[in-house]
Amino acid sequence: MPTIEISKADLEKLLGKKLTNNELKERAVLFVKGEIEAIAGDYVKIELKDTNRPDLLSAEGIARELKGFYGIELGLPKFKVYKSRVKVSVDPKLKNIRPKGAYAIAKRVHVTEHLLEQMIQLQEKICETFGRKRREIAIGIFDYDKVKGNLRYYAADPSEEFVPLGFNEKLSLSEILERHPKGIEYRHLIDSHSKYPLLVDSQNEVLSMPPIINSEYSGKVTTETENLFIDVTGFNQETINIALDIICAALHDRKARIESVTVDYGNKKIVTPILGSQEIVVEHALIENIFGEKVSKDSIKRFAKMKRMDCSFVKNAAVVRYPSYRADVLHAIDIVEDLLIARDYNAIEPEPVRIPTKGYELAERALIDAVREACIGLQLQEVLTFTLTSKEKQQAKMLLPELRFVELENPLSSEYCVFRQSIVPELLDFLSKNKHCAYPQKIFEVGRVVRPKLSEETRVEEKDVLCVAITHKDANFNEIKACLDAICKAMDWHYEMVRAEHAAFKKGLCAYIRLGSKRGIIGEISEKVLANFNLKVPVAVLELEL
Amino acid sequence: MRMLRRDPMLEEIAKALSEIEVKALKALKSGETLSEEDIAKKADIPIDSVRRALAWLKEKGLATVEERELKQYRLTEKGMLALKEGLPEERLLLALKELGGRASIAELIKHCGLNKQEFDAAFGKARRYNLIVFNENKELELTGLEKDFLERNQEKELLKKVQDGSAIDEEGFAFADIKKRGLIEKRKKIVMYAKINDNGLKALSIATKHRTRLYNLAIQVKPLTMGKKQPYARFLDEVRKKLIAMGFREMKTPLIVQEFYNFDVLFQPQNHAAREWTSTFRLRYPKEGVLPSKRIVNAVKAAHEHGANTGSKGWRYSWSIDMAKRLMPTAHGTAHSARQLVEGIEVPGKYFAIARCFRPDTVDKTHHMEFNQLEGIIAADLSFKHLLGTLKEFAEEIAGAKKVKFYPDYYPFTEPSVQLSAKHDELGWIEFGGAGLFRPEMLRPLGIECNVLAWGLGIDRLAMFKLGIDDMRELFSSNLDWLREHAIVRL
Repeated sequence: MPTIEISKADLEKLLGKKLTNNELKERAVLFVKGEIEAIAGDYVKIELKDTNRPDLLSAEGIARELKGFYGIELGLPKFKVYKSRVKVSVDPKLKNIRPKGAYAIAKRVHVTEHLLEQMIQLQEKICETFGRKRREIAIGIFDYDKVKGNLRYYAADPSEEFVPLGFNEKLSLSEILERHPKGIEYRHLIDSHSKYPLLVDSQNEVLSMPPIINSEYSGKVTTETENLFIDVTGFNQETINIALDIICAALHDRKARIESVTVDYGNKKIVTPILGSQEIVVEHALIENIFGEKVSKDSIKRFAKMKRMDCSFVKNAAVVRYPSYRADVLHAIDIVEDLLIARDYNAIEPEPVRIPTKGYELAERALIDAVREACIGLQLQEVLTFTLTSKEKQQAKMLLPELRFVELENPLSSEYCVFRQSIVPELLDFLSKNKHCAYPQKIFEVGRVVRPKLSEETRVEEKDVLCVAITHKDANFNEIKACLDAICKAMDWHYEMVRAEHAAFKKGLCAYIRLGSKRGIIGEISEKVLANFNLKVPVAVLELEL
Repeated sequence: MRMLRRDPMLEEIAKALSEIEVKALKALKSGETLSEEDIAKKADIPIDSVRRALAWLKEKGLATVEERELKQYRLTEKGMLALKEGLPEERLLLALKELGGRASIAELIKHCGLNKQEFDAAFGKARRYNLIVFNENKELELTGLEKDFLERNQEKELLKKVQDGSAIDEEGFAFADIKKRGLIEKRKKIVMYAKINDNGLKALSIATKHRTRLYNLAIQVKPLTMGKKQPYARFLDEVRKKLIAMGFREMKTPLIVQEFYNFDVLFQPQNHAAREWTSTFRLRYPKEGVLPSKRIVNAVKAAHEHGANTGSKGWRYSWSIDMAKRLMPTAHGTAHSARQLVEGIEVPGKYFAIARCFRPDTVDKTHHMEFNQLEGIIAADLSFKHLLGTLKEFAEEIAGAKKVKFYPDYYPFTEPSVQLSAKHDELGWIEFGGAGLFRPEMLRPLGIECNVLAWGLGIDRLAMFKLGIDDMRELFSSNLDWLREHAIVRL
């Protein structure tokens, strides 16, 4: 979930209202699905939970939404967009590389530190989350005074050169991918192609190499800058339009004059930014179904306005208009939630569910619990170990040959990289951590083991097993067999034993248990395995599938 | 004149004497030195009790007790059998008598029931004592001397004496004979002898006046080892019981699932940040699982791509079946709800799972790669109000909360979504879980027309509080002492 930093004074100025810290924390941010992570003086850190509301990733966006909450401005926010004559021609050869662009000009911008910070942050956060790390959205903001005439977005030869932001020498496009930090970070987005995207003005002066880096010449924006050019690229026009709208709306809220740009795809021309609205029909019945109460049309209209939307009714359906930058509206249900938030969750009387249903546990649970009960009756202490473990424990220390484990692709450590196939090594490991405790030590675990099995739907077989380990100076086969007998007697199970040889067990002191189709093993752990687990006192174990 | 002084120590000791100690003291009252056997007879209590009583009396300084070693014989198993069924020679003679005083060797062997070794020994002895002879027909015949022999069988007498523990003559032939035949064996016996002392007499008089024995409260009893449930496991059991009592049905909780259930069924787009490998684990082996029927897969695909028949725009991208097949360790309990919805639910129906979940989080006090989530759904004609009602009930029932607060929240698969905070008496306000109504894009493709309330509660924080620990890793404690000492956890 994205986290942003804002200045409280800046937010208050944008909103036109002072907020106490408590008001901000307990009421205001809830309205935008936020949570305050920290407040220190003027500095506020907010986590925004809705990853589909990139418009809320700046002080401007939050203030715009809160104006509705406090009744300062209700309904659809109004944006004025002036037409410019500027055109960007898009090269069809970009089709598979990065085909779409959306552009705007913002004039008479009073660039303050706050604005600069918020713009940089907004741009970064949009690209990071909503833009899937620049793959879907890359944004560039330029000093428009350095841009001449119409622009060209085309598939350029890797040998073309310009000075990238932060550098003082010309690099070729392929050198940028190899040497520039951003080139290295984002090269995977374009380096499978023979040509790279480039945005230039009528003088062939490079603005940007999307989605990698802007030019040092026009890509540098400071508090001295007055006019801005905004460039958004990606694969889906709708998605990049939303990103451009969000940037423009924020600049608009800072009193900039927004001018549109024509994007010429050759066969089709469009004008950006949109900064308009979209319409969705929400049935009154759906609203009442989700609310669980009668909601008057007037209330619905009022809630919609608070959430910066307009609403009118056609028969029994609400026709709701919402800003075109709202990326989260897929279905009428998304509007219903907004209405509920405006209604205020804590003002709704919770209603208990009184549906008489019969509760019951899984069939295997009864078995597991019965076995646990039997073990506790034998004075065994139950323990819990993790199902993720290491190969070292499961295989090497147990002196087993190479086993096929259910294994993680991306483990964080070798300690937790495979799923256990047996609990025995985990209990031995447990015992090795408790050598200072009073003996005898008698422990058990009932837990899941996981083995590859291709005939299963998930290609793995998960089984609940019982594992018992007993250790003291005279622990032996007799004692563990007595345990098995007692448990089986208690469970009314009749098992068979077959003499077995197993690398981890002492010779002649190991057997397989057969209980119908269930399998198990019982015996005394060999000296060598004990030593591998740093144990000296004899250990007898049993493990049995349930 | 003797000074009568109250000795409070002695008085306390006397009042706390056990019944057998008092009986033993009574038997010793005359002042003579008695053996444990004498005391047992006199006091009419088992010998073991006498020995225990004497040990205690010695410890308390109420009698002088000494131990003497005695040599003694006792019957072996063979000896006991011989005494019960007769000595082999006896059995041989009686068998011959039953056969009319004469018989062939074969007949006799068959009739007397002795094994070869016993028969040979008995036969030899009977011949030596001239109790049987061979007649002209090569048959065995009693000589008449057997009558006397059977009546005064010294060996048998001796065995009886050994059994009774009476004095025996260790010099005679009979003794040598039964010893050689392994019917008796020597054993060392420690016998206690005791004599009451002055304190003992005083204590006895106090004890007889005080009929009720006072238990020595300060006594340090030996701690017992007991088997107990693992505290965290028991906590989860209690939570499970609560849910079942509230009418919820438990769902299956596999550790490994297809991404299909963990994400796709939940309408989580395939390029969603939560699906990146820094957020979830993936399997290196095995890699891909099997998906349910084509009908279900296509319905999910349609919902993702264009919203299918739900009135939604969908996520508008090209959905990949290969990604959906990928296997992963369950990242959240909602994967199990997803599977339950695919496999079919009852309406109205309430389901829950305590799910082991896995996330690539660096292990610290509040994070582990492996943890549990309490997950549940209610499928019925219910509203957001009921969701809040359900959450409130959980906060009250499980966390014992008196107050709850609801916050708007975001989950990719629920709309509306809500976060629950519960006010716990000692922890204050805690984030207790997330919830919502499953999105129509998720339900309609699976043919579910009613609303489905869904929630996931973070129960580990509460468990940590109940267990009195501040480190999440300790939920799976590897400290045996702690497990042994920990009081049984209740909700």
